[in-house]
Amino acid sequence: MQHRTVLEFRRYRYLKMAVFVVLASVIAYASQTAPVGKYGGTPVGYALGGVAAAFVFWLMWFGVRKRQYKASLTTIQGWLSAHIYLGATLIVVATLHAAFQVGWNVHTLAYVLMLLVIASGFFGVYAYLRFPTQQTENIGEDTLDGLLLKIADLDKQAERLSLAMPDNLQSAIEKSVRDTEIGGSVYSQLRSTHSRCPTKRAVTMLEADNNERAFKGEQAQAMRALYDVMLRKQKTVARARRDVRYRAMMQAWLYIHVPLSFALLAALVAHIVSVFFYW
Amino acid sequence: MKLLLARLAKNKQGQVARTDEVIEAESILIGRGTDCKLHLPDPRVGLHHATIQKTGADRFTIDAPNSAMMIDARAERASLLRPGQQIQLGPYRLGILPPPDGIDVALTIELSEPLADRTIAMALAQKRTRGGLAATWLSKRALSWLFAALVGVGFLAWPVYHSLKQDHYRHALVVPLKKSITPDGAWDPGPLDSGHASFGRNCAACHQTPFVQVRNDACESCHKAVGWHFPHDTDSAKKLHAAVFSADGGEGRCAACHRDHKGVNALKRQDSPLCTDCHLDLKTRHPAVGIPNVTDFKTDHPPFKLSMLVAGKTGNDAVIRVSQLDKVNLVAKSNLKFPHDVHLAATPSGGLRSPNGMRAMECKNCHVPDETGTRFKPITMKEHCQACHSLEFEPKASQRQVPHGRVEDVIAMVNEFYAEAALLGKPIDQPDQPTQDRMRAGTRQAGGPVKSIAWVRQKADSVVTEMMEKRTCFICHEISRDATAAGTTWKIAPIAMTRHWLPKSRFPHNQHATFDCKKCHDAGKSKSSADVLIPDLANCQSCHSGSDIEKDKAPGTCESCHGFHVGGSRAGKPVILPKPNGGGVKTFKHSAALADK
Repeated sequence: MQHRTVLEFRRYRYLKMAVFVVLASVIAYASQTAPVGKYGGTPVGYALGGVAAAFVFWLMWFGVRKRQYKASLTTIQGWLSAHIYLGATLIVVATLHAAFQVGWNVHTLAYVLMLLVIASGFFGVYAYLRFPTQQTENIGEDTLDGLLLKIADLDKQAERLSLAMPDNLQSAIEKSVRDTEIGGSVYSQLRSTHSRCPTKRAVTMLEADNNERAFKGEQAQAMRALYDVMLRKQKTVARARRDVRYRAMMQAWLYIHVPLSFALLAALVAHIVSVFFYW
Repeated sequence: MKLLLARLAKNKQGQVARTDEVIEAESILIGRGTDCKLHLPDPRVGLHHATIQKTGADRFTIDAPNSAMMIDARAERASLLRPGQQIQLGPYRLGILPPPDGIDVALTIELSEPLADRTIAMALAQKRTRGGLAATWLSKRALSWLFAALVGVGFLAWPVYHSLKQDHYRHALVVPLKKSITPDGAWDPGPLDSGHASFGRNCAACHQTPFVQVRNDACESCHKAVGWHFPHDTDSAKKLHAAVFSADGGEGRCAACHRDHKGVNALKRQDSPLCTDCHLDLKTRHPAVGIPNVTDFKTDHPPFKLSMLVAGKTGNDAVIRVSQLDKVNLVAKSNLKFPHDVHLAATPSGGLRSPNGMRAMECKNCHVPDETGTRFKPITMKEHCQACHSLEFEPKASQRQVPHGRVEDVIAMVNEFYAEAALLGKPIDQPDQPTQDRMRAGTRQAGGPVKSIAWVRQKADSVVTEMMEKRTCFICHEISRDATAAGTTWKIAPIAMTRHWLPKSRFPHNQHATFDCKKCHDAGKSKSSADVLIPDLANCQSCHSGSDIEKDKAPGTCESCHGFHVGGSRAGKPVILPKPNGGGVKTFKHSAALADK
């Protein structure tokens, strides 16, 4: 059976539902007679706002639902599919609720936060559809732990081989063993290239010194072996870093999506309270 | 092919132990996968690391297309197997031996690089990768709390606290660019109407009670004089008003039509649905109102009803309303004789005789726009008529005119004039005067300067009678002789010149100044002041469409002509009142604004 993504869940059941919600909102908005202008306070405006607010509360409930492991009538995949499609409809529903009006106020703050949450969610969908494939292409049959083991092993070989090398080369290898960074800080995890990587510098030095004339006999053979080990290490380190980066990218958007959705929740409550506080 | 495999392993004393086995297969797959014929259980070995296969008679190759392979310390992807080769596959070293009889390939295999201490390596590795973003300072939970708290405090708790304390206006934060931020400033959904801008940020001026819609009291605390939709001064009118505006969800709130925070000039609702929401089906909804249904100016606006002054009446009877279809009653009873056609006639000699020669008259000679340009100033005898219609009564004294006013004053003045003439012996009667009566009363024939009082009475009586019954006053006024015991007098019928024929609408004449008056008012053919020259509905509809835009037509919404707040105290007195029994000609209280007395 062909693998289906969350977007295709149950033959696009929630896409159809989202299209219905959008069409219904547009028709309701366009057909309303608004004597004092179209805005959130007309009957249609209140209805659209009510639907949008209900959607936001329900979408945030996803955070609770996905932690409930008990069997349920609905699958978590179905919830995610609905979360994506119905969340996206808010772009239309909330815009029509606001009747295209914006200003420097809490109402537009809630609207902008909502758009940011949706945009980060779209990135999340992209990340989950695209990065796992790239991650598999990158790491192949290995695992990140396997790669780290290989690096540790290569380090051990490099250390042994470097004993026969001149001091500057030996210290560069030692630095590569000690200071090569895979992941680490937020920035290190998210970037793919490390400009001052000690492994890269060691390889560069080996390439410069990889001169058959400079070394003879066993040392030349050790030199070739060391160069080979370091090249393999460099490739393995690069693969490990890419793997870390894909993992980080698939997590990073949630650090925007989740906190901003809570900010949105607060702004939405402030919006609703303020509107009726000064009715 | 048959492969002899010699596994070499060192024991604790460093002695090498060798175990042989023979593997027979088409090709030998080497790797850590369990499906491999040569299984190498080590994480550094590829799943399917390399393959040994036969490529010809006594030719065997090893391929490692995707994994690292060192042959005699050189990286290779593939190689022909030769005895003496040292092949490194990950941590394993393969030594190729000369094959004994009956064996295709013989090799030794040995773990040359035992796995580094797994615990130390993993600890090191995990320290480096630190388990993704969750291991960094980032925390979804902390960020969520932070953001939600910032928004919740700044945009909810702070405004609500100061609003409840009613000191929100004093707690402004002053920020750069000389703008101050009040706690509830961020709640403001949009700019106030220019008229309300003076409230600034004092939200409580209108929003008096939390969670209660703005009440009419808040509006009426300033807008005291705004009229109701119809008069509100009697109990029955109040009941009707309450019935109309509490039904149909029309809660009668000012804010139902006037929504603020929509821009500097957007407080006033101007659309036909404002009216047709109710007037669409007024007959069934509010039959007591007694007004026909209207949906659109183009399709079903009822014929105009004119408000016409009734001469000599006051109060409710001073004005009658007559439909323009009611031709029988559509007669202006102004008690003034004024044929428009005569005054506007273009005679061959260039118009009418006037003291300044022949003069062609135009509408604007008498109908002078008022200050607003909407309607016209009152027409007065002195300003508009008297230049031609002189009130002189004695040809010998053309400078003397009777006052335009009460009959008694006219009689008194004429008597006084002739009495003075008699006393002073002024030459009133000249021989060339053709009237024999006057010749007989003349001083010269009597032979003395003093004339009798009888002459004065007789002279004055004949002059006044002629004015009242043949010329001067008679030309314009309806006059009746009234003989009483005290003597003969005359009664001038009261003038009723209607100035505002359509008081329920507004027609700005200045906005229609591009058209000639005659386009709407056919005055040039009117022979009598009884003619009503107000244009009818069809005339307006010839230029105005309904609410929908039409080519070459101006739109005609309800608001184009009608206002909402037409009844109430603004006009001083109630202007329009539905007749309690309904139907027929309606009467209205009239105010100074309606008619010129």
